[in-house]
Amino acid sequence: MKKITTIAALAGLSFNLLGAPVMASEPQAVYEFYCAQCHGLTGKGDGPNVTKDFPVSPRNFVDAAEMNKLSNADIKNVVLDGGPSAGKSPMMPPWGKTLTEEEVDGLVEYLRVLCACEGKQG
Amino acid sequence: MRLKLATAMGVACLALSAPVSHAAPADGQAIFEGKDCVSCHYTDGPAREKTIEDQLAKTGPELWYAGDKFQEEWLVGWLADPQPIRPMKFGSLTEENPADHPALSGDESATVTEFLMSLVSGEVEAGTVKVKKNAKGRQIFTKKMPCSGCHEYAGRKGGVTGGRSGPSLAEAGVRLNPDWILAYLQKPTLFKPVKMMPVFVGLLSDKDMANVASYVGNFKPKK
Ligand code: HEC
Ligand code: HEC
Ligand code: HEC
Repeated sequence: MKKITTIAALAGLSFNLLGAPVMASEPQAVYEFYCAQCHGLTGKGDGPNVTKDFPVSPRNFVDAAEMNKLSNADIKNVVLDGGPSAGKSPMMPPWGKTLTEEEVDGLVEYLRVLCACEGKQG
Repeated sequence: MRLKLATAMGVACLALSAPVSHAAPADGQAIFEGKDCVSCHYTDGPAREKTIEDQLAKTGPELWYAGDKFQEEWLVGWLADPQPIRPMKFGSLTEENPADHPALSGDESATVTEFLMSLVSGEVEAGTVKVKKNAKGRQIFTKKMPCSGCHEYAGRKGGVTGGRSGPSLAEAGVRLNPDWILAYLQKPTLFKPVKMMPVFVGLLSDKDMANVASYVGNFKPKK
């Protein structure tokens, strides 16, 4: 059941992305490989690491109201330097030594696809 | 520079000693090939994966540095009676580990272990990590860094706690070589150039990496 919803959601996503083919699948692959383990394949914050013991909920990327509180620069910084750099939990890892700047820029765009929101401006 | 030299020498030594060493690794290799273990595991280094797609195309973990990574006694036992190491199915975020790894007989398992333990990178320094209840290591593993967010380990109230995307570390103290744990943290691209685990070089000092390796290397299975 869960699988079906995932597949449906993913199919929906790829469909969206097909409409805007600008280097689309790359950031999605990066997201699914590194981020989905906590944030979930569809971005709802429900990856396999989030068991009842997990100390804080990973940000739900589908929640436009929450995601609108962050600017693109905020997202980029927290992805590069990890939760504590933004006063958040160390359970959000620092990815600056793992991902290239281009990959992180791609992720910022992809999160905006997931939330279907523009984010805080400026 | 020194490392390169050491590797070159290591490789040279291996090449030299291979023909005169006892027959067992070759016997083990024959079983490994005969049982089709090669269809899911490659045993010659260096690492082949360059992209996420390469990593996801694999059907089993690479074994070319198995002799650095595993404790021999654990390996003999596991090959004869394999139990899940990764909570999730290899390469999947949605399916549980099906616990269906092929098993070998006791004799085969000892022979294949000799072969696998002969596979080394030449890049792991022996005797650098002393395992103990390392308080600094614990602090890093459970609080300062997100290690526990992706790896299972023994919970305070019994059972296991922690994340499920990485291999379980609950039995790391009998399964893994603590010197390899340190090398794995220090040389992330050598063993696993593309992985879901973040690179910690530049974020943890060598000393802190040794502390966390010492802490993880002390995880023992519950009796
Ligand atoms: C080990 C689990 C884990 C992984 C893997 C992970 N995150 Fe997070 N992330 C979290 C947690 C937990 C939070 C919430 C932190 C808090 O609220 O204190 C978070 C929060 C965030 C936030 C919101 C930060 C804020 O200021 O509100 C962003 C953006 C984010 N993550 C992006 C990513 C991206 C992109 C990736 C992949 C490169 C990723 N995360 C991988 C656990 C994780
Ligand atoms: C169909 C693919 C497949 C075949 C065939 C296979 N393996 Fe595996 N092997 C795996 C997977 C997947 C894992 C990870 C299991 C886990 O995490 O529980 C694994 C794990 C291992 C490990 C532990 C490696 C690690 O890094 O944790 C060893 C050692 C091993 N296999 C040896 C063998 C031997 C010996 C054979 C032949 C008898 C064999 N495998 C056949 C897929 C395979
Ligand atoms: C975002 C998730 C994540 C975080 C955070 C993380 N790991 Fe990992 N770790 C993994 C994954 C996934 C693997 C398996 C990589 C592979 O083989 O493809 C792994 C592999 C390992 C291994 C090798 C285990 C084996 O059997 O192959 C060790 C040891 C390890 N991690 C220790 C740590 C330590 C110590 C930390 C904190 C400093 C840490 N990890 C943080 C996900 C993570």
